[in-house]
Amino acid sequence: MTAIDHDEEAVVIIGSGAGGGTLAYELTARGIKVVVLEAGPHITNAEYVNDEWAAFSQMAWLDPRTTSGSWRIARDFPNLPAWIVKAVGGSTTHWSGATPRFLAHEFEARSTYGAIDGANLLDWPLTLAELAPYYDRAEIAMGSTHRHGRAALPANNNYKVFANGAARVGYNFYATGPYATNAEPYDGRPASVQDGFNFQGDKSGAKWSTLVREIPRAEATGHLDLRPLSQAVQISHDRTGRADAVLYLDAAGGMHRQRARIVCVAGNSIETPRLLLLSASSLFPDGLANSSGQVGRNYMRHTTGSVYAQFPDPVHSYRGETMAGIIADEARHDERRGFAGGYYLETLSLGPAFLAAFANPGAWGRDFTAILDGYAHTAGLWIVGEDMPQETNRITLNGSVTDAAGLPVANVNFDDHPNDVAMREHGYRQAELLYDAVGSISAHRTPPYPSTHNLGTSRMSARPEDGVVNKFGRAHDVPNLFVSDGSVFTTGAAANPTLTIVALAIRQADHIAEQLANGTL
Amino acid sequence: MTFLDTSEAPSGFLDSPQARALLVRVIRVAFPHAQLPDTAYEKTAAALIALAEKTPRHFLALSSGLASLDTLPAGAFLDLNATDATARLRAIEQTEFFGFIRANTVLTLYNLPEVWEALGYEGASFDKGGYLTRGFNDLDWLPEPRIEEYTGELNYVEIGPLTRQVGTGTAPAASAATRDEVTK
Ligand SMILES: Cc1cc2nc3c(=O)[nH]c(=O)nc-3n(C[C@H](O)[C@H](O)[C@H](O)COP(=O)(O)OP(=O)(O)OC[C@H]3O[C@@H](n4cnc5c(N)ncnc54)[C@H](O)[C@@H]3O)c2cc1C
Repeated sequence: MTAIDHDEEAVVIIGSGAGGGTLAYELTARGIKVVVLEAGPHITNAEYVNDEWAAFSQMAWLDPRTTSGSWRIARDFPNLPAWIVKAVGGSTTHWSGATPRFLAHEFEARSTYGAIDGANLLDWPLTLAELAPYYDRAEIAMGSTHRHGRAALPANNNYKVFANGAARVGYNFYATGPYATNAEPYDGRPASVQDGFNFQGDKSGAKWSTLVREIPRAEATGHLDLRPLSQAVQISHDRTGRADAVLYLDAAGGMHRQRARIVCVAGNSIETPRLLLLSASSLFPDGLANSSGQVGRNYMRHTTGSVYAQFPDPVHSYRGETMAGIIADEARHDERRGFAGGYYLETLSLGPAFLAAFANPGAWGRDFTAILDGYAHTAGLWIVGEDMPQETNRITLNGSVTDAAGLPVANVNFDDHPNDVAMREHGYRQAELLYDAVGSISAHRTPPYPSTHNLGTSRMSARPEDGVVNKFGRAHDVPNLFVSDGSVFTTGAAANPTLTIVALAIRQADHIAEQLANGTL
Repeated sequence: MTFLDTSEAPSGFLDSPQARALLVRVIRVAFPHAQLPDTAYEKTAAALIALAEKTPRHFLALSSGLASLDTLPAGAFLDLNATDATARLRAIEQTEFFGFIRANTVLTLYNLPEVWEALGYEGASFDKGGYLTRGFNDLDWLPEPRIEEYTGELNYVEIGPLTRQVGTGTAPAASAATRDEVTK
């Protein structure tokens, strides 16, 4: 374990998930000294448990947050707007592994969809062609199946129902991936044993996460000082407005100061804007890097929803890789469906404990218990599609609720856009048709879970007045401050976000290394 | 919470067999499953009582809710049939009392291994080698689907309508039974 002095000007990365963990590895591999501050503990694969609630308590971010707006989450889970991990590896330890790329037009949402009332659409300052080589590198790093010679995962029971249904309704673009879990041993990690506990950390290591790949490799370079249980609470700056240090709290509440040459924030899309807002100063009265007023705004969570269908015969959908099944036919942009943007359908299975908690929160009685009675005969899928950025969907500091350290917690305000509602309705119907085509006897629509995809709160923009960071994730207002997670998404696209977060982080690492080498940073 | 050992102390109703029997009945009526063993409901009731006894707010809600259930003009709650008992609970579903029972039953009952077993869920699997050789792909009532990506002659459509017919509309059978009102 390498120790970097608190007075040494290091690159300081806040958060060790998809964005932060990747960036840490890519920089340390080039010999750059990095301090990673991670709010959560360092939990290893052997410590994970095959038990939904126990694993959730072990891994999830449970510090208080609040909610407002008309989304159902504000009623059902007022203090759990999002399902995010607080541990080394971040939410990549909880994630399932679906890795589709963005489509070309999804980087040009404003130009492609036109003006949509209430939506704060903007084109990315980046194209698919520019990102494509980094997508390749990300897929190779993550071992995405169906890509770069990686074998496809076999069909599990849930996929058999899903794929047969897809074929019968006329879909063609379905497969068991791309999915970042090994079908065969790869990159020093084993093949999947199909244990069905991806969301609980994956004890085997077959699933890619920054915990199993980037963090240990970064440590092996001797250039990483990883500090778990270290929560950043403020980024300070010098008289010229350059970031110069990060203040953080250790587990006992002790305050530390790490000097920084460059600061990269990767706390996921709720904590990242919270930290920028907590870093307001006389020079940056509205929060650090917030001259545009866009910090915390345009919060996106993907348009989601699930359908669980029951069949006369057993399915046992909980056995095997949770999300190794993707249908891409509906990801297109096709205005004839009555909404802009598209969505994927992906297999999903929950254990009885989570299904009971999330199937229809607040419900009881026979309609509810019927969902669980048919558990062993149930197949499930998830809709994940592009939602509209809205300025009022927003992370703010809650003036009256504080965390254990006495700091204002994040409030998450969210309303669905009519486009989101129309897309979700379409997805529910297609899913019901799909299951009907293979003989379902009932189907249950489940509302969106606490957000697993959190995006957009420090978005990229060509012009400083439209967003927070430039096409490399560098803050428009602060030259040595970067945002390195899903907060930078200008728009959400239909694809699950992590592959894109990783590709952007690799690209950002190249950029930072280049700038450091030529002395411009 | 500590109870004063004086005549002013609460009656201890929540610890009585009667309170426990009422709670078991409420849980069973609200979450009816023919295949669950009695022990599942009894354990859930015991867990809820233990939880309620930790805070005055829940202690008060559960004690008074249960005690008053049994003093209704309609008759003793334990004597009502399932339909009448369900109607009785519908009438009070917005109360703190019922909300406490509902929310915590969902978290407790469905987290019991005996309930998993009754529902056909096998629980922890990693220590048994996962499901790789234990049925992750044993479904045999449908043909083996393709697992590779599509390589046929159709082009993938990114913008605009699909070039072939796809089913749309409303599924006849699937939807009727349990389409709940799901909003956002
Ligand atoms: C159940 C589940 C399933 C998922 N499945 C998929 C999938 O199939 N495909 C996909 O693409 N995505 C999936 N995701 C989403 C994926 O996990 C996230 O998109 C991704 O991990 C986000 O990366 P990030 O770097 O933005 O944040 P994270 O990975 O969440 O990392 C953020 C880290 O920062 C830390 N942190 C926050 N604030 C501070 C602070 N102030 N100081 C120090 N540290 C801090 C946190 O503790 C955390 O460890 C899933 C998520 C969940 C929960």
